[in-house]
Amino acid sequence: MTRTWSDLDDFQAFIDGGGMVEPNDDMPAPYRDEVFRFIEFHANSELMGGLTERDWIPRAPGVRLKQIFLAKTQDEIGHAHLLYQVAADMGLKTRTEMLEQLFDGRSRFHNVFHYQAVTWADQIAIAYLVDAAAFASQRAVFAECTYGPYKRVLKRIVSEEGFHMRHGEEMLLRLAEGTDTQRSMFQDALTRWWWPAVQLFGPDSDPNDPLLRWKIKSQTNETLRHAYIQKYVPLLQSYGFEIPDDNLRFDAEAEDGKGAWLTTDIDWEPLKATMRQGGPDSRRRISTAAANYADTAWVRSALEPKPVAA
Amino acid sequence: MRTFEVFLKRPGKDEFRHVGSMQAPDPEMAQVLARDSYCRRGEGDQMWLVDRSDVVEVDQEVLATTTDLAHRTNDGSAVAARRKQLRAEGAS
Repeated sequence: MTRTWSDLDDFQAFIDGGGMVEPNDDMPAPYRDEVFRFIEFHANSELMGGLTERDWIPRAPGVRLKQIFLAKTQDEIGHAHLLYQVAADMGLKTRTEMLEQLFDGRSRFHNVFHYQAVTWADQIAIAYLVDAAAFASQRAVFAECTYGPYKRVLKRIVSEEGFHMRHGEEMLLRLAEGTDTQRSMFQDALTRWWWPAVQLFGPDSDPNDPLLRWKIKSQTNETLRHAYIQKYVPLLQSYGFEIPDDNLRFDAEAEDGKGAWLTTDIDWEPLKATMRQGGPDSRRRISTAAANYADTAWVRSALEPKPVAA
Repeated sequence: MRTFEVFLKRPGKDEFRHVGSMQAPDPEMAQVLARDSYCRRGEGDQMWLVDRSDVVEVDQEVLATTTDLAHRTNDGSAVAARRKQLRAEGAS
């Protein structure tokens, strides 16, 4: 007998009591659907992110940075592997179906991987700002995460994203302390990447978001986004860079006198466009990923078990 | 493809822990792929791979028979109550 629950209230009581769901449980269909969709989105994003990273290996300046980007690429693709396995075990789609739908443009992935990285400084902005945003949101999922297999692989993923971010900050410092050209390269990249990174957290959460209720997410989108802005605005300013927001201001009265950075109202249209594969670089990104999948078909075929000769 | 459950033991006194699952055509390839997926930075010095089809998941009904067996544990409350009573008597 697998574990089962009489209805959603009974299941909620299990979750509220600190329960952890495992793959063989007879979990409620809405939980299976929502959690699967969330993990599939995460897996797709890791894969698309890893492929972006890979593009920059040949162009990374110097052997050490090439090694770092090789290792990071392997990490991101590795995360995708772990997550696709967890998602496939939920029984809704096979790994192959998920990949084929991603390469057909029928699946979603993080907004930030729908934009083009123009210069090496963009790649640093991604490694620093985007990885930090992804790290913050993944850590908030790991904090509670009621789906056991997801929580177990997140442990590894979160720890690796942690030092990816430190790599990012180290690379940023080199540009910040570099020549005027290097500084202006990073400023341009920051101007391109600030809003996509902030938008990665998504619009304000629906108060009835089932993922909050079922403790997959431990924090609302707006809470995470706000904390991110409070941390990264002063940090980037301290390196002498300018946040591309004319209405950005520090309100000393905000939050009971603690003070807070307030931004302009966020335009969510660019985020929505990426969810329809209508981002500035969506088409090229997806076709590159599809071509990579086709190019590596021989590896999958070589791994197929061979029939044993009689 | 076969699915393997991966258990990793960190160097030192930690116990083996389930860290995830993975697919491989055979146990030999599984070792290489498990290392690449789960142990790229010395996260463990021992690893077990278990073919998922060999895992016996214990029936909930078999496990759910121990809640009324209070005599198998002792939470110390009887001794604590007795001591408290003795202290109260000594103080009076």
